[in-house]
Amino acid sequence: MWWYVGKRLLQTIPVFLGATLILFSLLKLRPGDPILNLAGNKPVSQEVRDALAAQYNLDDPLFVQWVLFVKNAITFNFGETFSGQPVFDLIKDTFPVTVVLAVMALAIDAILGIILGTLAGLRRNGAFDTVVLVISLILISVPIFVVGFVAQLTFGVKLQWVPATVGGDWTLSELVLPAIVLAVANFAYTIRLTRTSVAENLTADHVRTARAKGLSNRLVVRNHVLRNSLVPVVTYLGINLGALMAGAIITETIFNIPGVGNTAFLAIQRGETSTVVAIVTFMVMVYVLMSLLVDLLYAVLDPRIRYV
Amino acid sequence: MRFSRRTRMAGIALVAASSLVLAACGSDDDGGGSDGDAVISVYGTNPQNPLIPTATNEVGGGDPLNNLFAGLVSYNTDGSVENEVAESIEGNDDSTVWTIKLKDWKFTDGSDVTAESFVNAWNYGANPDNKQLNNYFFYPIEGTDDIGNTTGGDTVSGLKVIDEKTFEITLKKSESDFPLRLGYSAYFPVPEAAYGDDGKITKEYGERPIGNGAYMLTESGWERNKQIAMEPNPDYDGNHKAQNGGLVFKFYAGGGADSAYTDVQSGNLDVLDQVPPSALETFEGDNQVQAFNEPGSNFASFTIPERLEHFSGEEGKLRRQALSMAINRDEVTDKIYNGTRTSASDFTSPVLDGWTDEIEGNDVLEFNEEEAKKLWAEADAIAPWTGEFQIAFNNDGAGNREFVEALTNQITNVLGIESSPKVYPTFDELRKEVTDRSIQTAFRTGWQADYPSMLNYLGPIYATGAGSNDGDYSNKEFDSLVTEASATQGDERYELITDAQEILLEELPAIPLWYANATAAVSTDLKGFEFNWQQKPEYYKLTK
Repeated sequence: MWWYVGKRLLQTIPVFLGATLILFSLLKLRPGDPILNLAGNKPVSQEVRDALAAQYNLDDPLFVQWVLFVKNAITFNFGETFSGQPVFDLIKDTFPVTVVLAVMALAIDAILGIILGTLAGLRRNGAFDTVVLVISLILISVPIFVVGFVAQLTFGVKLQWVPATVGGDWTLSELVLPAIVLAVANFAYTIRLTRTSVAENLTADHVRTARAKGLSNRLVVRNHVLRNSLVPVVTYLGINLGALMAGAIITETIFNIPGVGNTAFLAIQRGETSTVVAIVTFMVMVYVLMSLLVDLLYAVLDPRIRYV
Repeated sequence: MRFSRRTRMAGIALVAASSLVLAACGSDDDGGGSDGDAVISVYGTNPQNPLIPTATNEVGGGDPLNNLFAGLVSYNTDGSVENEVAESIEGNDDSTVWTIKLKDWKFTDGSDVTAESFVNAWNYGANPDNKQLNNYFFYPIEGTDDIGNTTGGDTVSGLKVIDEKTFEITLKKSESDFPLRLGYSAYFPVPEAAYGDDGKITKEYGERPIGNGAYMLTESGWERNKQIAMEPNPDYDGNHKAQNGGLVFKFYAGGGADSAYTDVQSGNLDVLDQVPPSALETFEGDNQVQAFNEPGSNFASFTIPERLEHFSGEEGKLRRQALSMAINRDEVTDKIYNGTRTSASDFTSPVLDGWTDEIEGNDVLEFNEEEAKKLWAEADAIAPWTGEFQIAFNNDGAGNREFVEALTNQITNVLGIESSPKVYPTFDELRKEVTDRSIQTAFRTGWQADYPSMLNYLGPIYATGAGSNDGDYSNKEFDSLVTEASATQGDERYELITDAQEILLEELPAIPLWYANATAAVSTDLKGFEFNWQQKPEYYKLTK
């Protein structure tokens, strides 16, 4: 298995190179001039322009910019933002809160989603199943910003149970509401996925065999139905952690969370190439590592899967 | 002042009666129920540049800087000017040489504010090697080029230190209201300690500036992406003495005024000086906030360059007038902006000294369907109209799409021509095409003055060859009126400005739309909120 892990980790190198090259190309295709953004409608002299462009390598050919970036990235030097902050520090400042938020959302999503989904799957077509299906349909249909603003207005402004926004000094308890909002849409998918998977496995051969052996219902469900049913759910959740981190931008904006989604958005708007590439590359790495983790979890869940 | 995506930098501040210097603003007794020690939290965004006066050109850094530094003059709330660090500012007969004497002030590190503190900082800002974004502000001074970069050598030849407390500024041409400029943040002094061994302002200074203003940074100072905290400067003895126990600029990610508004409602933030579009309709009736809505200094227009087909010469003049009259400004300010814009009646701003709405020819800014059709038909007689009339806008600023769509619809309805918005995703994409003159449509423009003078709304935008003359407008008569007004004092000056505006109203180098109102939502327990002429709160007056 360690050989497999090592092989997968080696694969991240071409992924890193490819992802950064694509990002550079895309940003180069973005029209406009970041320096004009800095200057507003005030004239900028050619000298100042050139000096700024040189500082951020904006005028080098695309391939040269990319090679410089990769060379520096090996030593964790990702350059500086326009405000003079090292990009690495920026990532260090903004990633923790996003990671915590995403993990909290994922936990809510996984725990509630799997429990409700399993119950619905076991009682397929019953009243409970129907209610859960209808609720999940509603949750999927309502956009996240509606849920966000309504939750903020209700619990933050009117009832004042929680602070309306998070801000720079974030604490775990402040993140609960944003995490619930972030979890809501995914959570509905998790329910549906678990439900279908459980319902399908209930009729599988190995489950029938287990029942025939006279195992108790609880053991059958836990060891034979659920464990097997979780394979697609774990895939979904694992990939989702990446999506939750990258997709947290709306939630981050509504609740003023100084996380990575917002930072990336601002950098894109200003055309800060090095910042955008560094942040998105981190995201890509999170995706890659999560999918490795998911693959390893398969082996734990389904004994038929082996890595050599 | 730069015209940006949606925020504009605050330059200047001050109040009506200059004698009204809020005596010593005793904060010790809280008998009146107000607590002078209260720290006020105000809306902010993470500064995009180092906190150096000549490097900061956007609100995120500008608002904190204006509180950390004091310039030669300060602005009263109504835009009038009062000496601050300057003891006296004297011009020669033709207003080309200004001699400035300084009071005895200190920076918060204990060093003296000297003539060199100013001159070195300005030399630094004007030198293109230092990549300072505010170089533009030095262009009136002898020894710089059109956009304020040093020519011939590393220092600006028009700046001369006479002795420790005196220096002399030589201008390129006479400018009677030059002292009005000097309260802007680009002209703040910088202490000796700021410069490193290589003569450059250090990175550390940019993160933790030492100033001479009403406030100084607290121990924690600027925490990136979180806040800037400041406390009153005990040695400050100027016009804006702090009446509160300090300020915290709380940053909102992505400039998210929406979440800031909720914070004001729930009492987590005291001052939001920019009401988000989502709350514009309701904020004045919201009993969880105190609402402020006043005419402001921010001028909006759109520009149709001369070089576009059908827009040059007599034909172009008629078409511009027709378009201007085809627009129903009141309808847009009312329906789209819910009364937070005021329809324009000139090219400047109603908050300024000498402003008047009685300018001959400003009826061209009123909706007049008949006249618009008639003028358009006259232009068609010269050369028949072809093609489509488009107005370009940047889609990353809230509300831009809505107003441009409204304008083009009105134009289609009145003139019966094809008209539509042209979208640019970001501000810099639009500005790039405007700057390199490749844009083939009309485009949205705007202006916020750097200092409280009507001339600042005219010269830099419409004078021949001026830095922000995006439409390449040129009119000799207008140029000479502006030059003359610059060298004249008193009411006579306002008459010259009115004459100059009459020319603009006839030729419409830009089509005025409206003045943006200053809007704010403030927590219910806050006292002393006032807008200065720059649409910014008078931070030092805020109390609880």
